Amino acid sequence: MRPLPRFRLHRPGSIAEALGLLSSLDDAKPIAGGTDLVPLLRDVERGPRNLVCVGQLGALSYLREEDGMVTIGATTTLSRLLESDTIKRRAQGLHDAVYQMGSVQIRNLGTIGGNLCNASPAADTAPPLLVLDSDVTVASEGESRTMPLADFFVGPKISSLKPYELLTEVRFPAQQRSSGSAFHRIGRRKGFTLSVVSAAAYIERDGEYCRRARIALGSVAPTPIRVPEAEGELEGKEVTEALFEDIGVVCRDHIHPIDDVRGSASYRKGVSGVLVNRALKDAWIRAGGELI
Amino acid sequence: MGYDRILEDLLGREEFLVVGQKVVRTDALDKCLGRARFTADYVPENTMVVKVARSTQPHALISGIDTGPALKVPGVYKVLTGRDVPGENQIGYALHDQPLLNDEKVHYVGDPIALICAKDESSAVEALDALKVDYEPLPAILDIDTSLKPGAVFVHKDGNIAVETRIRKGDIDAGFRDSDVEVEETYWSPYQEHMYLETEAAYAIPDDSGKVTVIGCMQSPFLVREKVAHILGWKLNQVRVIQALTGGAFGGKDDMGPIVCAKAALAAVKLGRPAALVYDRDESAACSPKRFPARIRYRSGASSDGRMTAVEVDITLECGAYANRAPFWLWRQTAHAAGPYQVDNAWIDGRAVYTNKVYGGSFRAFGDLALHFAAESQMERLAHELGMDPVDFRLRNVLREGGRTTCDQLLDHSVGMEECLEKVAEASGWGSRKPLREGTRARGFGVGCAYHGISTSRSTPDWSAASVILNQDGSITYRTGICELGQGSPFGHAKIVSEILGAPLESIRIERPDTDSTLNAKPTHGSRGLMLGGTAAADAAAKLRERMVGVATEMLECDVKLVELRDGFAYSRDSPSDRVSFPELAEELYIRGIPPASYGFYASPQRFYDPETGLGVNYSVYTFAASVVEVEVDKETGQVEVLRVWPAMDVGKAIDPLMIEGQIEGAVSQGMGIALMEDLVVEGGVVLNPNFKDYIVPSAMDTPDIAETIIVEKPYKHSVFGAKGVGEPAIISVVPAITNAIHDATGLWFDRIPVTAERMHRALRGVVE
Amino acid sequence: MRLEFDLNGEHVTCEARDNQSLLDLLREGLWIKSVKKGCEQGECGACTVLLDGSPVTSCLVLSPQVEGRVVTTVEGLEADPVMVALREAFMEDGAVQCGFCTPGMLISSYALLRDNPEPSEDDVRTAIEGNICRCTGYVKIIEAVLDASRRLKA
Repeated sequence: MRPLPRFRLHRPGSIAEALGLLSSLDDAKPIAGGTDLVPLLRDVERGPRNLVCVGQLGALSYLREEDGMVTIGATTTLSRLLESDTIKRRAQGLHDAVYQMGSVQIRNLGTIGGNLCNASPAADTAPPLLVLDSDVTVASEGESRTMPLADFFVGPKISSLKPYELLTEVRFPAQQRSSGSAFHRIGRRKGFTLSVVSAAAYIERDGEYCRRARIALGSVAPTPIRVPEAEGELEGKEVTEALFEDIGVVCRDHIHPIDDVRGSASYRKGVSGVLVNRALKDAWIRAGGELI
Repeated sequence: MGYDRILEDLLGREEFLVVGQKVVRTDALDKCLGRARFTADYVPENTMVVKVARSTQPHALISGIDTGPALKVPGVYKVLTGRDVPGENQIGYALHDQPLLNDEKVHYVGDPIALICAKDESSAVEALDALKVDYEPLPAILDIDTSLKPGAVFVHKDGNIAVETRIRKGDIDAGFRDSDVEVEETYWSPYQEHMYLETEAAYAIPDDSGKVTVIGCMQSPFLVREKVAHILGWKLNQVRVIQALTGGAFGGKDDMGPIVCAKAALAAVKLGRPAALVYDRDESAACSPKRFPARIRYRSGASSDGRMTAVEVDITLECGAYANRAPFWLWRQTAHAAGPYQVDNAWIDGRAVYTNKVYGGSFRAFGDLALHFAAESQMERLAHELGMDPVDFRLRNVLREGGRTTCDQLLDHSVGMEECLEKVAEASGWGSRKPLREGTRARGFGVGCAYHGISTSRSTPDWSAASVILNQDGSITYRTGICELGQGSPFGHAKIVSEILGAPLESIRIERPDTDSTLNAKPTHGSRGLMLGGTAAADAAAKLRERMVGVATEMLECDVKLVELRDGFAYSRDSPSDRVSFPELAEELYIRGIPPASYGFYASPQRFYDPETGLGVNYSVYTFAASVVEVEVDKETGQVEVLRVWPAMDVGKAIDPLMIEGQIEGAVSQGMGIALMEDLVVEGGVVLNPNFKDYIVPSAMDTPDIAETIIVEKPYKHSVFGAKGVGEPAIISVVPAITNAIHDATGLWFDRIPVTAERMHRALRGVVE
Repeated sequence: MRLEFDLNGEHVTCEARDNQSLLDLLREGLWIKSVKKGCEQGECGACTVLLDGSPVTSCLVLSPQVEGRVVTTVEGLEADPVMVALREAFMEDGAVQCGFCTPGMLISSYALLRDNPEPSEDDVRTAIEGNICRCTGYVKIIEAVLDASRRLKA
């Protein structure tokens, strides 16, 4: 551990100013809550020469539901997400995830944007957002582009953000009736800890049938991933407990996790199916389904 | 004096005033207000920063240290190496194997090489980066078997075995011949890192008259003074050591106190200016000594009617880079090897072995944790083989009054093992428990027993000292060398002094241990702080009481036997309203030239043992403990949760029930940690998880439901009010209780801790490790 | 840089470096020693303070980020009735051992009781999840917070 490297911290008063700084400054990085970035900076000999603080920009912190879409500003804190009734009802899996992310202190500082931009394969907001077909908006001076969240992640701790860009918004269709989503993960204790493996599921129910399904996993690949092969096996089928177990197995067979200090590849593979199964069950029940 | 009968014989009372009562500890207020000061809180702005340059190699010769580039960094004052040590560059605890600063050879990744002395942290860290050390790597010994192989490279010049122990008791062959069932297994227990919230720190201030004052975290101010003087080549009276309030210790700061203080003192003296050394968390977690890893091969025999007939135990302790406490650790394991049971035939062999990894050192329970994990797992397996209930089987064998321990020590009194075990069995509903093995969530119950000798090991004399001053205004100054680490022992002493002198607790101020004015109480470890330190306090208080009573008798003009000292007043029991306040009484002592201060001493009864057989009186007295634990296992994910714990302990006499509960609850948490989640990952000699993020300790979410501690009192004759040590035994019994409960729930035996979710998951699927 | 913020009810103006954590600013620049350094990763909670009334780990906050905001430590809550109840409960229920985690623990507990005067045991565990204690095993801390809430109700 080292003292923080030297940098200049800028605190722009508007999004436009922030984008201006990011494009004009040499070697600049955005920072909001700092819960990932600050510990990281204590491990390096040299860090970015400039940090552009966006946490104070009220314009980037919002949570709205309109026209069937939920839009979340990038600097919305995890605490705010946890307290939100909209998230609890319209993004159930995301609520599950935030509920067990970090401690009170970390949730008060950490932001949804920060969690996504850190781009850890273990980012807990990612699987629930992926199963909700989320898009993210990335802005730079003069332009902004929107992409599916799946395209935002490129590799472990690597996002597709360019140095002059800022993630500004996450959006997804609000869950409607007869749909449910859920998130499960395994840590190394009951208290807050990084996920060793995690799974999120989204189901749209049509009677006894699964009309539409989305499944995503964390900590089993270089980025958080969807498992389309499993989704395909599930869509259109009549839901039973056995089906969900099989889907868990399909997921397990389609992933190639690695060993690291938190868990081995074989353990991650072994329990991924269990988590998918549990997430599917919860999502199904939340969608009003019954399990045979 | 019959210390255990002070209440009846000296005080002439039947009830205690403060001892045994729940009282607010006097240091709690400052801690809650944020006013309590720990070492780093004393350091003024702009104090010179000291940082330790450490080896990046597990095993290497140092062919050169180039300080030039480091000295060129702006803000760097000096770089100190072994050559700059004026006294002897040696800080080994038991063996002479540990330089303070290594300039010839390094023995583990993190081994100290040099001290950077700089203006601030950034300059110091820049200098650490710039310092050039040339290594000639040597083969690294990374496990005990490699270390023991003939022809293995030596970590230290006299070979890789640092110490050996043995016990030969009875007739081992006959013992196994007489057994009807036999169980043999090998148990592994790992490093455990203390993760005290406060990292190691020392602040040293030199003066211009050849003296240095060091304020720091420690558990033994006089050990620190001795080591600092040794490093500096100075006399003891040239070094003043003050123990600052310490934020958690658990043994680790007993080892680190001298090392960190010596480094700060060296820098301060060499540069002639105050120096502060505060460890980073990852430095502390990677480089400071930890619980010794141990491999214990254990063979036990019992007769068909459930009586233990023989134990054969082979202990290999991994020292890591330095022996440090290994001789005492290994001896404790050896002397306790049969567990708290009557076993007449015992054959124990132990050895402590060097490797090129972070070294072992003091940690709560000091070897008894690993030992009991093995011993209690064996008891469980035996019970299983015999088809007997685990509690019943243990009750058939527990030590009782008149029994003899592993090392053949006769226990003639103060043996509460049976009562502890019976009471936790009752409290937990053991007889009607219903384990659940089917379904995704299995549940089970387990029991663990433990004993732990309270005192220094073997025949090392154990003693303590304290002092009390009655000031003219009636207030009392109490001094003890026993350190406040959170456990509250000094406050326990204050209660004892309050009880004996009849002085209100608020009138007693406990001063910080300061080697210039405090008597050596010997270390605050081995759970001896209250038992030994407190008895010295009782001695000091009793002496002063006698003088106070003598003067009061004259002032009150009554018979000496009628004088009562209570609530800050002296009065005759016959006429209580005629009373003299302590300020008045104190003034009289001073006027009459009667010493208002006293020193108290206490020496525990002499012990002896025979190093050939390992038999003898190894410890003054033993504290006994038992736990029942209920666990739940998620069979799909492997996660184990401790649902409920029922702890019991024979504490001799409960001086402070609140503090005893606090110790037990804290110990349960640390025991649960090593049993289920604390896993130090060391690869190639490098600690991969030296931080809270990846070295997992229990949080408030993890703490189980802990039933009210069952306190059993079997007073010890030779200590104040009969009190015995409390801090360590609780962690010992809870670990095997957890693994035995896991067996109850799943049918699986674990011979290795921690039982992480991953290990459980593998075991449930029949994957052999 | 020159920094201005509210610290424990007083307006403070001080010099701060961009790369100076709020923890270091409080301890070194402003001599607030109740806030402790335990890990500098946001994992142990010993550095917990209130920032605009919400508990945060000050080791992760950069000093300039508190410009114009309100920072509160135990020193600033001494007479607050919720803190008084907590302090008395902590002391009387044996929730204080070494004391190093105590200020941070009190800040987290304070924020809980202030916003949720009748918390469940689970609420308490969640509130102090980010405050690690190695001495007490948390049992008496949880009891003390619940005890404090009962005292405040009465």
